[in-house]
Amino acid sequence: MKTLAYWPRSLAARTAVVLLLGLAAVQAAGLTIHAFDRMDLQRLGQEHDLAVRVMTLYRSLALVSPDARSRAVEDLESTEGQFVALSPVPPGEALPPAPIWLQRQLTAEMQFVPVPISARARDIVMLGGPDNELMAVGLRFPDGVWLNLRIDMPAPRPWHSLTFLSAFLMMTAAAGGMTLWAVRRLTRPVATLASAAEALGRDVNAPPLPETGPSEVATAAAAFNTMAERIRRFVQDRTFMLAAIGHDLRTPITRLRLRAEFVEDDHQRARMLADLDDLEAMISATLAFSRDSTATESPARIDLAELVRTILDETADARPELAERLTADVPDHLTIQARPVALKRALVNLINNAAAYGGSARVVVAPPTQTPAGLSATLIIDDDGPGIPEADRERMFQPFQRLEASRNRSTGGVGLGLPIARNIIRAHGGDVTLESRQGGGLRARVILPV
Amino acid sequence: MMTAPQATAMTVAPRPHLLVIDDDHEIRDLLAMFLEREGFHVTTASDALDARRRLAAGHFNLVVLDLMLPGESGLDFARWLRSQSDAPVVMLTAMGEDTDRIRGLELGADDYVTKPFNPRELLARIRAVLRRVGEHGGRDQDGGRTIIFSDWTLDPRRRRLLNPDGVEVPLTGGEFELLAALLDRANRVLTRDMLLELLRGRQAGPFDRAIDVAISRLRRKLEDNGRNAQLIKTVRGGGYVLAAEVRRE
Repeated sequence: MKTLAYWPRSLAARTAVVLLLGLAAVQAAGLTIHAFDRMDLQRLGQEHDLAVRVMTLYRSLALVSPDARSRAVEDLESTEGQFVALSPVPPGEALPPAPIWLQRQLTAEMQFVPVPISARARDIVMLGGPDNELMAVGLRFPDGVWLNLRIDMPAPRPWHSLTFLSAFLMMTAAAGGMTLWAVRRLTRPVATLASAAEALGRDVNAPPLPETGPSEVATAAAAFNTMAERIRRFVQDRTFMLAAIGHDLRTPITRLRLRAEFVEDDHQRARMLADLDDLEAMISATLAFSRDSTATESPARIDLAELVRTILDETADARPELAERLTADVPDHLTIQARPVALKRALVNLINNAAAYGGSARVVVAPPTQTPAGLSATLIIDDDGPGIPEADRERMFQPFQRLEASRNRSTGGVGLGLPIARNIIRAHGGDVTLESRQGGGLRARVILPV
Repeated sequence: MMTAPQATAMTVAPRPHLLVIDDDHEIRDLLAMFLEREGFHVTTASDALDARRRLAAGHFNLVVLDLMLPGESGLDFARWLRSQSDAPVVMLTAMGEDTDRIRGLELGADDYVTKPFNPRELLARIRAVLRRVGEHGGRDQDGGRTIIFSDWTLDPRRRRLLNPDGVEVPLTGGEFELLAALLDRANRVLTRDMLLELLRGRQAGPFDRAIDVAISRLRRKLEDNGRNAQLIKTVRGGGYVLAAEVRRE
């Protein structure tokens, strides 16, 4: 089906358009009926008025002597839209004869003005009519003289009073406004549902939807809450399981570390310890994800610039071969309000990712700028790695997701670094996104309220 | 109960006597073996009750205490131990249990490592605590107290450095150790070798290689101009001195 050019996209707008079009049609029909009715009424009145006027005048002139007639005609106050004359001939206006129905109508109306039989008009000529907006009527007195009248017959007006028109417009506007209000109100649950689904995507622990309102809406909200609860349980089970394993693994790892100290072969011992470090790093990430580290730490003022430099120093200490490619372009100082341990973990995860997968990390901290969310600092972490395809970028923030589907430890972590970073940064009222960098490589963009 | 001054214990006993309290007997035994090999005399205990018996029976230079004990908790035991003895305590804490760690340090524990710990790091911490005790002629009462110098504040419990405006200036682990070592010996010249000795084992290779780098990073963080450093002064002939009045609260 071809999409209409002006067909609005939102459900509320579409419903409103349909309802308003319906309302407009009903109003138009009502107005038309009213106008026709009114015009009919006006015409009848006009005809009656005309007939009575003509006959009253005729009667008054027919009852006086022929000599007094011309004086009486001269004495007639000139009325607007009316011309009266006595003439030996019938009206000579270039008008077609009046329609038969009008002639009949007028003739009938004229009977209402009683005229003595002796004085009755001997002949009546009617020319013109509503179509000409003018009528010429000639009546022949019994003595042969014609009374010729020319009377304006303005076309009937469908709406006579301004009050009616403004009242009608106000009524229409009120109905339209109520329609819009009702539509918005009725479609609001759909928007609420959409934003709830979006919030769930951001945070598994987003609050449930209120299960109120019309029954369909309440049912949908309940179904949504059930689904959210299942997802939450799924993620929680997975996290709890890993946390439990992590806790239980601490003792064997400690034992292995101690045993490794008794391995004579230096090379084997170093490799064992490196494996144990990897194992511990995975457990540490899982434990960090399973508990909300931001909940227990209180915010404090911290120098973000110094934090970035410290993390880069530590990364360089741990990976001296990359030291040259870990650079910072940050102001001397930038004080922000944050939870120091949590924020450090978030930035460590991002910078370590850049170093591990991109082989470098260039951190740029821009001075705070005014954003819709308030004064925010922007932190950009660039690397020179292969980047991440756009379709996969958002997925990287989901727990246990990795670009490598192989789950091979040698090519990456457990898939919690970015989710932890995002959880922490969002808990600070900021956000972190991935984008591709011009000239290749990945760019992580962190926005943090100052 | 233990009443003998620790300083004499250090000089009399060439092999410091450690009490290791951990509920996992394998860790206990392995740790004992490891520490014996490193020149300590080690006694082990499996829980708080056992530990009390051992403490009553002998004299210990240092206690290694696992906070996750069955029965009476490690924290309760640490509180009791502090009231009874001057023996310094190094805690073994669970990864991520920051509140336990901080409470332990507040109760007077001298240092901590998180499980699963690196045995060499534990060894370094034990040696550092014993050295502090030896130098101060008794248990280091100042271990957990806040250090104030030149309007800067160092909180050893949380390993936090606050600048004169109260803004946290992050430190790497090595920088913290270095600053703590300099503050412990404020206004005394420390050669590079002495600093290396004090910090050995705390961090692997890179730190040893770059004590000057660490000093320059610290100076930058303390806003101590490198050319004309006032706080951490370079001493001709290869050494450093932290020149400031140091208060502890």
